[in-house]
Amino acid sequence: MDIFTTFDVSASALKAQRIRLNTISSNMANVETTSTPEGGPYKKKSVYFRTQAIPFKEQLDSSIKGVVVSEILEDQEEPRKKFDPSHPDAAEDGYVSMPNISVLKEMTDMMSATRSYEANATVIKSAKRMALKALEIGR
Amino acid sequence: MKRLEPFNQTMQLLQKVLDLRAANQTVIASNIANSDTPSYNRREFQFENELQSALTGAPGALQTTHAKHISLTAGNVNDIHGKVVEFKDETGIGDENSVSVDMEMMALSENQLLYEATTQLLKKKLGMLEYAISGGK
Repeated sequence: MDIFTTFDVSASALKAQRIRLNTISSNMANVETTSTPEGGPYKKKSVYFRTQAIPFKEQLDSSIKGVVVSEILEDQEEPRKKFDPSHPDAAEDGYVSMPNISVLKEMTDMMSATRSYEANATVIKSAKRMALKALEIGR
Repeated sequence: MKRLEPFNQTMQLLQKVLDLRAANQTVIASNIANSDTPSYNRREFQFENELQSALTGAPGALQTTHAKHISLTAGNVNDIHGKVVEFKDETGIGDENSVSVDMEMMALSENQLLYEATTQLLKKKLGMLEYAISGGK
């Protein structure tokens, strides 16, 4: 057990939260995107987390877990319909399929991701300070 | 084993506490890292009671009257390893994650402060040794 395990654990969380933030920014950027290479409007992507054992660090009954993004899934909700016959992606009935993304939801999710990122950065800072204090012993 | 001198005993205790606090830091880091992981159980690293019973011999400590007796509680500070206890989410709402980040942050700063206090004590202890070596100069 060393203080560097803390760095591994918190770094895994920083990475996971960064991926989450990237996904949110992709959702926000494509809130009005009506056509994609796969066809149809952009679909909201969601990030799912799961625990991950820290490799080579099976101490303490391997109860020390990092976190990893297990999958990024596309939302299966129906697209939002908007009446706009002049739109190039409009269907024959004049309705355009818009991505079903709630900007409000994305914003709160973004705040949550930012706070989690900050919390983990604080843990790293704290562990670093502890390690430096230990180096001061005998000085 | 030869009984240790009080001076060494304190040093040994302080070293052990540093080790245990470093382990505790990792457990707290694991909780904060998984604060968004569904159905993650909060973990707690418990060693304080074990440490206390090792120091005082009580409560709960069985006396060993024979050299071949095995003590149920750690009689020596070196035998303390602490244990990790999991706590399930009892609220039944949300994603069954029992981590509360604010509580963990509090535990984090508490652990950090106590670690720093222990390093200070160790430093002072070594300072005293240095003072004695230099003949009080």
